[in-house]
Amino acid sequence: MKLGLAKMLRIHFGEDDKWKDTPLYRAIVEKCRELDIAGATVFRGIEGYGASTLIRKPHHLLSFSHDAPVMVSVVDSDEKIKKLLPHLDEMVAEGLIAISEVEVIKYVHQNGVRS
Amino acid sequence: MLKSGPAKKVSIYVGEDHQYHGQSLYAAILDFLFYRGISGASVVRGIAGFGADHHMHTMRIERLTENLPIKIEFVESAEKVEELLPKLRQLAGTGLIEVQDTLVVKPSEESAEHAAKEAAAVSLKSEGKAKLMRIFIGENDKWHEKPLHKALVEAMRANDIAGVTVYQGILGYGANRRIHKEGALHLSHDRPIMLSVVDDEAKLRAFFPMLDGMVQQGLVVLSDVDVIKYTHDYAGEERRKKARP
Repeated sequence: MKLGLAKMLRIHFGEDDKWKDTPLYRAIVEKCRELDIAGATVFRGIEGYGASTLIRKPHHLLSFSHDAPVMVSVVDSDEKIKKLLPHLDEMVAEGLIAISEVEVIKYVHQNGVRS
Repeated sequence: MLKSGPAKKVSIYVGEDHQYHGQSLYAAILDFLFYRGISGASVVRGIAGFGADHHMHTMRIERLTENLPIKIEFVESAEKVEELLPKLRQLAGTGLIEVQDTLVVKPSEESAEHAAKEAAAVSLKSEGKAKLMRIFIGENDKWHEKPLHKALVEAMRANDIAGVTVYQGILGYGANRRIHKEGALHLSHDRPIMLSVVDDEAKLRAFFPMLDGMVQQGLVVLSDVDVIKYTHDYAGEERRKKARP
């Protein structure tokens, strides 16, 4: 991924949503890696509601019980993101996908800049 | 705010056990009224009753509380009631909604203290354009022996950046292609971390050289945001404290 303009994709759904028996968020991260997308991060929310208007919250103190809201954030070039979209269409049965424009100002790992 | 004069009184009858998207129905209706700015509403629980299904709901028999009738009541202007009715109709499901004409002789009043607080809060709202910076790093990244996310927050405070929030992810990968995830019992220290920072572009750009020196691996992105800011009114609070010894 180059510095400069890029796209940020945010996908919102529930923690217990599944894709072919694996958690959907894990399946999405795996798909991103398969497509060689620059990076993906999964965040777990503590409360929320969405397309189904169901209040999602982890009710258990130790948060072993599920269905917390989950957000996957992905950043890459417009072209790469467009490649990912058809897969998401198929995988995300219920949820929200939003795209926004971002400017990448730093993208490095320990051995230097990747492009 | 409800004024003296003609108004409408709305009563909604539902069952105590009725659910709406995983929440009790009467609480959902009450929340709806509260967040739509209704001046006030009351919920009363009946001790017995029956409805369209002619099933007697009572707490006389051993089944202690069996779907007792609940009445939600509020008084509002005709326009406001008109505006809320479509959604209420949908919320009430099989329940009954009744609207009657009423006359407000004296509206209930807000306490003076509450009114003053509201006025102070509103005056502190400011809007404008700004930049949102997101920094993606790993939980065990370090800077001078210190967790990098902590060091970044300290550096931002020192540089007068308006505010920063640190989020912990549960799974992710980035520039180094290594999967970061939480272990069993959330004890792992290799979770992805995101810092979200909002301030003017100039302030953030001035911080970039510092950031460059600190972030050895990760991703930093910038995007446009509209800021609607509510700040704490320290000056106003002091004034009010002096006025009320």
